[in-house]
Amino acid sequence: MPLELGDTTATLTGVVTVDEVEELAAWLQATAKPRVNLRKCNHLHTGALQAMLRFRPKVSAAPTDAFLAGQVLPLLEGSGGEPTRQGSEPP
Amino acid sequence: MTQTQRKALVVDDAATVRMYHTTLLGDAGFEVQEAANGLEAVEAALATGFDLFVVDVNMPKMNGYTCVETLRSETVGTPAPVVMISTEDRPGDADRAYAAGANLYLVKPVAPERLVRIARLLTSGPGVAA
Amino acid sequence: MNPLLAQFLAEAADLLTQVDEGLLQLERTPGDPEMVNEVFRAAHTFKGSSGLFDFPELTRLTHAAEDLLDAVRAGALPLDSGMTDDLLAAFDLIRGWLAHVTSNECLPATAGADAAALITRLRAPIGGEKVKVETTVAVARRDSAPAWLAYFDEEWLAETAAWLRTTSAQMRFIRYVPDSGCFFRAEDPLHLIRQVPALERLGLIEPVEWPEAADYDEYACMVAFVFAARAAVGEIDYLFRYVSDQIEVVDLDGDTIQRYLSGEAEADAAAPSEADEPGTVDTVRSSPSEPELVADARAILTAALRSLAINPTGHVHLVSVANAITAAAHALGDPVEIREPDVVALTATVTRLLGDTPPPEDAVSTAPIEPIPVDRGRADDPGGQVGSRILKVDQEKVDHLMELVGELNVAKNGLTFLAQAAEEEFGSRALSRRIKDQYSGLHRIAEELQASVMDIRMLPLSVAFSRFPRLVRDLSRRLGKNIELVLTGEDTMADKDVIEALGDPLVHLVRNSLDHGVETVDERLATGKPGTARITLAAVADGDAVVVEISDDGRGVDPTRVRRKAYEKGLISEEELETLSDSDAVDLVFRPGFSTAEQISDLSGRGVGMDAVRASVEKLGGAVTMRSELGSGTTVRLRLPLSMAVTQVMVFSVAGQRFGIPVDLVVETVRVPAAEMSRVLHQDVVVLRGEVVPVLDLARALDMPWTPDQTQDRAILIVGVNGQRVGLLVEQFHREVDVILKPMEGLLAYANEFSGTALLGDGLVLLVLNMKEVLGLAARVG
Repeated sequence: MPLELGDTTATLTGVVTVDEVEELAAWLQATAKPRVNLRKCNHLHTGALQAMLRFRPKVSAAPTDAFLAGQVLPLLEGSGGEPTRQGSEPP
Repeated sequence: MTQTQRKALVVDDAATVRMYHTTLLGDAGFEVQEAANGLEAVEAALATGFDLFVVDVNMPKMNGYTCVETLRSETVGTPAPVVMISTEDRPGDADRAYAAGANLYLVKPVAPERLVRIARLLTSGPGVAA
Repeated sequence: MNPLLAQFLAEAADLLTQVDEGLLQLERTPGDPEMVNEVFRAAHTFKGSSGLFDFPELTRLTHAAEDLLDAVRAGALPLDSGMTDDLLAAFDLIRGWLAHVTSNECLPATAGADAAALITRLRAPIGGEKVKVETTVAVARRDSAPAWLAYFDEEWLAETAAWLRTTSAQMRFIRYVPDSGCFFRAEDPLHLIRQVPALERLGLIEPVEWPEAADYDEYACMVAFVFAARAAVGEIDYLFRYVSDQIEVVDLDGDTIQRYLSGEAEADAAAPSEADEPGTVDTVRSSPSEPELVADARAILTAALRSLAINPTGHVHLVSVANAITAAAHALGDPVEIREPDVVALTATVTRLLGDTPPPEDAVSTAPIEPIPVDRGRADDPGGQVGSRILKVDQEKVDHLMELVGELNVAKNGLTFLAQAAEEEFGSRALSRRIKDQYSGLHRIAEELQASVMDIRMLPLSVAFSRFPRLVRDLSRRLGKNIELVLTGEDTMADKDVIEALGDPLVHLVRNSLDHGVETVDERLATGKPGTARITLAAVADGDAVVVEISDDGRGVDPTRVRRKAYEKGLISEEELETLSDSDAVDLVFRPGFSTAEQISDLSGRGVGMDAVRASVEKLGGAVTMRSELGSGTTVRLRLPLSMAVTQVMVFSVAGQRFGIPVDLVVETVRVPAAEMSRVLHQDVVVLRGEVVPVLDLARALDMPWTPDQTQDRAILIVGVNGQRVGLLVEQFHREVDVILKPMEGLLAYANEFSGTALLGDGLVLLVLNMKEVLGLAARVG
């Protein structure tokens, strides 16, 4: 199972596909202070990433997958989509 | 829309492509036959009526254009919808297909759901008395 | 394995063979339009099928090959041997890849790099990298940075700018704005980005405002990405080929980024249009499939309009157009009724329909084709396979069928034992006869079945010959010799096991001819021969055997030299050196430890000699002979059984245990009173019709304890091996049986004195002797 949904923590394992997006999004929405364990996650579908961006769960364990850890995790932990440069018009 | 199963003929010289299209249409509820070139397609069409033809362009023995022309000729005389699928996207190719009698010319790659959607769309009309 | 992939691999193997054969033939008869077309067609089909899978390098490489062939086909350029080399190399590379795909279901990691060089070479004759007909991504090299650079981490941008400036390099920046419905088309933008080679940095564009939690639609894509990479344009182009309208690519150098960071050149940064701003797209999101259906219906209507403009004359054609129009109108929810289809009325209808239905917001014309969405085959589809009259069957299935036939034979043979038991143990002659009747009925069916299965296993010799045109071509180029290869009798059929086993000996013999037999052009001209040598591979059926001859018109074997060399190597005695006839001398080359080549070349050397050829042919139950005439050429003749699936063996027992020997080898069976046995030079012999035949005690040779009963006649099996008669002292003769010989396995695999095992009807395993080894063994035991 790519998705294991606990009371406060969701554990994502392997490749999270579009099929898991709905369930994950519903859980994120329903959970008060959601935490997400990404350690064993190898890929996140864009829809899953988007749901996490929307509901901002705390990432309780960082992924070991190089792409997720190096490129995607900073997006989840960062301030989000705010343009980094002060004073410039949002495009 | 009738409940009877629609029959489709998949015409392609590449066995893998044939199998792919057959599986797609078969999963979409069509009864599918295969032909490896235009000549076989014409033979099959003479033997059985089809509700849809999915025809490759570039084939040995008889290419797709000639095949479709023959399907539309008095010899075979089938007005069933013909979708031609080609790897080529050169100017004039589509017109050649339409002149031959195709109802839609698609350039690969065609998304599987699109092919199924089009196949269903073309075979679900009320039809015209020929 | 996915059945579609399995199908592709099987199809690919055929196509690759076609391409190879075609290319080689083209080199001999350049410009043969039929042949060019055939090769092009095979390459084209190959490309078409490969496109179904996520093997981008494979598709790119075949595409390049196809384009080159297309140019040749169009007469735009003649096919020279350099191009042929490149094409052959390309398809060789592909062959290697497919082997990798077969075991790993993916291309090897080196595929991209390997393909790149070949693609460049293939494209060179047709004007280099294809002019961006298919390249959908335009790379802007700008002096000003796009505004979306703001979505990258600023610190990283600063570092990157500094680094790019020190190295005077550029980096590729991409913005990718997926459309909101992309998840429905099984697109995963993040997955695409993950595949970008040399990805340096990923940035995110979130919607300006997220929808309320209650309104959040997890299936609408609302985010977009920016990323920086060192990937080649082609790689980006390929990865994003289905969403090329959703990406923007710019190459930026350090100065430009620096200027952007310091706030200059800001005015130049065009604000992205509202349309591709994520977050604003959720306005059109009714039923997701609807815009696509509308788009498809419109495409059909547009096509109908095009058809009508071309002015179809045939009535059937017109009806089909009318059908398509009504179907499309039906799908658009605007049904139309057409009674008498005519061009004018139909045109008016289509125009109205198109005018009434605005194109959907995101009309998708080329949605992505997901690699292999099929997870089950439809081989059992009763409607399929209408056209193909040839059934392709997995070799393993035929092998299994053959094994079953073997088991049926064994089971059938069991009936004879039963008949015997019925008569001897139960004293019922009638029952015995009835069992025998049943047996003969079953026997007939089993025989027919066996013949049919054997027939399926028959392959033409062309399968074994097919690799030689290429081999001869490549080797003759390397050796600087001119050689014409002539193949005859390729249609001759033989069992696939024979064909397969024939491969290695044939390669060795042909290489030998090329290497040692055929002279260089200069040598040939000096001796008054034509410069181009000829090697002939000829096959002909001869009863239940197939004869393959490999002949060349080269220098021939020098019997004097062979004799001298054999003597030097201690293979023959001084007496034989004097007396051996020329033809016997030539045969010496098959002796182990003999090699006529003055120096071992890298072609036929490598330690395998003619002795190995003879051994492997004899293992198949065949024979090799060589004829040669000094100065005018050599012919090697292989004689092989048409089929080696069933072997007739003679069963006999030694020291209480049964063994078998191929019937072909048995000359006769004799019973000799013990007293008539004599001894000559420590060797038991028997005199038969005036001829002295040495007799081996098989029990002793096999190291089995047995003392023959002195009062009984001796049972001696006379066999012919290497043209010599030898007697084998055995305990008892049994009958002849047809068996399916299986190679030795497990512990016995190294027991060379046995050539295989067979199961007998009564369930016993029969060991079949390899006579040559047994004779050697006996000689050692003394």
